[in-house]
Amino acid sequence: MKGKEWYQADDVAQEYDAKRFSDGGRLIDRREKEAVLDALGPVEGKDILEIACGTGRFTVMLAERGANIIGLDISSAMMAQGRQKAKSTGVEGLVEFMRGDAARLPFPDDHFDAVFAMRFFHLAETPAKFLAEMCRVSKDQVFFDTFNRYSTRSVYTWLLPMGSRLYSRVEVENLLYGAGLELVDDAHDFVLPYGFYREIPNEVAGRIRELDTKLRGSTVGEKLSSVSYWNARVR
Amino acid sequence: MKESLMDIICCPMDKHDLDLEIDSQDDEEVLEGTLVCSECGERYPIEDGIPNLLPPDMRD
Repeated sequence: MKGKEWYQADDVAQEYDAKRFSDGGRLIDRREKEAVLDALGPVEGKDILEIACGTGRFTVMLAERGANIIGLDISSAMMAQGRQKAKSTGVEGLVEFMRGDAARLPFPDDHFDAVFAMRFFHLAETPAKFLAEMCRVSKDQVFFDTFNRYSTRSVYTWLLPMGSRLYSRVEVENLLYGAGLELVDDAHDFVLPYGFYREIPNEVAGRIRELDTKLRGSTVGEKLSSVSYWNARVR
Repeated sequence: MKESLMDIICCPMDKHDLDLEIDSQDDEEVLEGTLVCSECGERYPIEDGIPNLLPPDMRD
């Protein structure tokens, strides 16, 4: 099964969270949620759009904090999970899910306070187009993550069946500039790639993560990180 | 989808307003129906409460 079909299959969607975010994956989930909350700040009453929302991990989290949020994705199977999650946490009144193309969004210009995409740009074939479209519908903030070219991710990606697009800082800066955005701040993490964390049991994951954090704190810090978070503003 | 979403969404192709045709709904939201572009006439289905606003060339 190819990447796109795999992602949209019902059984894959049902097991997606359990498979990806248990054991060591839990640390990734926590760090990503922290990155989103740090970047978006207090979200109560804000209009937010999440691109490639999948099963709604972040969508529901932000609705719980009072955001009016729309999750957009290509897969209805993934969003069926998201709808259940929203209902079980009682935030369905603040959340909408819809299928759509990130390059042709069904929204007017400057509608949202913030637009963000997590784990999306490594799968994006036309990143410049997507970023420009995110910028078009946002009146202020755009936030996303990338996997880094000069990191352990290069080796890991080489091992993956689907492949993924890796970015250097200069490439991201050029993309931001081209889309009409300016960088506000950036953060870098995970010297060890995600795939590694997913393979290790929860008991050791914490210790490995400590080591990872130490490595990153050293002088080579940002250069070694496999993931970067980019917080930008409409120019 | 809730009917209030109509204030926000537009046709992904030409960004014009959409009209809502409801086939079934419950107290909170529209479950099945169609969104129709008031300009180009393109029809976008609503399935299991999730509107499908994928442009026609990307639909299944």
